[in-house]
Amino acid sequence: MTRAAARTVELTAPPVSRIGEGARHRLRDRLLSTVSASIEGLPPGGQVEVTLPLLRRALTHPDRPALGEEPFAWKPIFVRRSLGLAVVSACATGRFRCPSEAVVPIATDAVAEWERTGWRTFHWEPWFSGLPSGARAVVLADAVGWATSLWTAFDWTAFAQLPQIGGADDQWTCPAPRTVRLKGRSEMHVPLTAPGSVSRGGQRSETPVALVSVSGGCPEEGWVEELAYLALAAGLRSSSRPVPARVMGLWPDAGLHRTVDIVEQALEAAADRVARTVGIVVGARLSAPASR
Amino acid sequence: MDVDRGAGIPWQGGDRTRPAPDSHGGSGTRRSEVAAGQAWSHPWRPLAGPALLERLRVTGRPRPTVDPEFVLRLRRHLDAELATDAAAEGHGQGDGGSGPGGTLSRLSPLVVTKDRLARVLACEAHYVATEFGERTPTVPMACGAIVDVLFRQLVCVGSIGDPMADGLAALSVDDHQRGLLSWIEQLSPPDREGLRAEVERQAEGLQIRWPALEPAWLPRTQEAMRALLAGGSVELSARVDLAIGRPADDEASVAIVEIKSGARRPGHRADLHFYALVEALRSWAPPFVMATYYTKTGELDVEPVTDELLVGAARRTLIGARALRRLADGIEPVRSPGTLCGLCAALPERGPGRERVDGLGGRDTIRGEGR
Repeated sequence: MTRAAARTVELTAPPVSRIGEGARHRLRDRLLSTVSASIEGLPPGGQVEVTLPLLRRALTHPDRPALGEEPFAWKPIFVRRSLGLAVVSACATGRFRCPSEAVVPIATDAVAEWERTGWRTFHWEPWFSGLPSGARAVVLADAVGWATSLWTAFDWTAFAQLPQIGGADDQWTCPAPRTVRLKGRSEMHVPLTAPGSVSRGGQRSETPVALVSVSGGCPEEGWVEELAYLALAAGLRSSSRPVPARVMGLWPDAGLHRTVDIVEQALEAAADRVARTVGIVVGARLSAPASR
Repeated sequence: MDVDRGAGIPWQGGDRTRPAPDSHGGSGTRRSEVAAGQAWSHPWRPLAGPALLERLRVTGRPRPTVDPEFVLRLRRHLDAELATDAAAEGHGQGDGGSGPGGTLSRLSPLVVTKDRLARVLACEAHYVATEFGERTPTVPMACGAIVDVLFRQLVCVGSIGDPMADGLAALSVDDHQRGLLSWIEQLSPPDREGLRAEVERQAEGLQIRWPALEPAWLPRTQEAMRALLAGGSVELSARVDLAIGRPADDEASVAIVEIKSGARRPGHRADLHFYALVEALRSWAPPFVMATYYTKTGELDVEPVTDELLVGAARRTLIGARALRRLADGIEPVRSPGTLCGLCAALPERGPGRERVDGLGGRDTIRGEGR
């Protein structure tokens, strides 16, 4: 068995447990109570948006958990994920054989569609279309590299159903005294259906899923909670969908992958990490010079 | 020769192959020229198109069989040696072993790159003197950066327009190149024209000679590679200009190519060996071939990867990583006289380095090259 095939089997294995409604409520209550205590110090209107990068930064740089407040400007690194996901999706559906074949037509089509209709599928179309050819090539090459690492991570013929590639972030707003929003971004949602089974309309939302998350660098301390956080955000987002049964993290630079089977304790640990992170962020904001 | 083992990279029949007007084709012609005593009358011509691809594909050795046991032994040796050092010196408080269980500790790891390795092994004192200094840009360095991005463009989109304009545009979207870009913008008109001429010359050579790569070979540029060792206390880090081939399963199937716009140097092979080691450690399979392509001349230096090469690279990396760790701990650097002495800001009034420079009449023994 190839390593990609073995990884696919690991990802799509039957779930080890199922998080019920009771557990989901307990998690919500746990988060609300722990986060509320941390957030109270913020002035009215203050809010915290929790993301995977913030969780990581709060652990490694607790004194400076927030990234610099530079005004947003497009860069190739901001394009490579969305373009890379579109590329992988196009390959998975058989439209193209491989990423480097797909990237130019997909980017070109996106720009053409934006020029024709004004609709921005990816948001970067106006920026990309205004770039000189040399800069555009950098964007495309970055996306090919990113997409290739995801494309070669799995045996795509082994998925019983085509995974959802990309899609909207999972978001949940905690009903605390100040707004705390949990945002989870996964690269793939993989239905955990038995080979040969057919999912039909109403039953689809009951199908357990595994999430896949791609990160740069190497797995760092706290990766278990970080992967479970993605399941937490997805699980709290909607009570009509099952909590993801598994999260696999890929670190292509290091050739590593890690898998967390989602049980209640894993979600509790993730919820506690969220509360700690919110506490760190609030503490840093309150101690910042402008707040004194 | 092993011709048919290339299941990972077919290497044949790309219909996008560019014309190769100066390819000298197959080796049969060459052999007959030599036999007829005509070889000396022909100037050397760089490989191009299919001949260049063939040189990359056929290394003259069988492609290495993927042997995770061998890689594991290599990794365990590095882990053990580096962990011993770390324990003795109070590092390595990571929470897990490296390899499949590797996790980076919250403490910053010692990051080992090809540049750090080469510099610390050349002279620890010079390494310390230049560790935090910004490298002053030079025209060859600017040329190297531009040719790098043009190569990327050629591989990804298959063509280069105005080389200087494309190159500068590519650098403009890279935050790390802001300093270089601003330096280029401030060049005097003659220097800028000189840079443009060299960039155009090398870009033309690239477009004529570099073969189109089949998308199915999964060409990717500027691929980052990392391997954690000794419980996450050491991180080997590399970024290769071009990797081709699907990840290996049974037989090594990845080729790695570095692009250099400057002159050929022996140290370039050591850089490639380091890349081969990092790739083997992260993928459990080494690349089957490493190559440096010199855009100035069209030379292609190809080296097949063997177990001996990997062991040698591991040894060199171990020595370098230990030296880097000693220096990080503030231990007095060792001064090793060599080709860097003439350029060294930390050259003392007395000592072996000064003696060497004085003996050479104060001449620099190495010039700033691009890449």
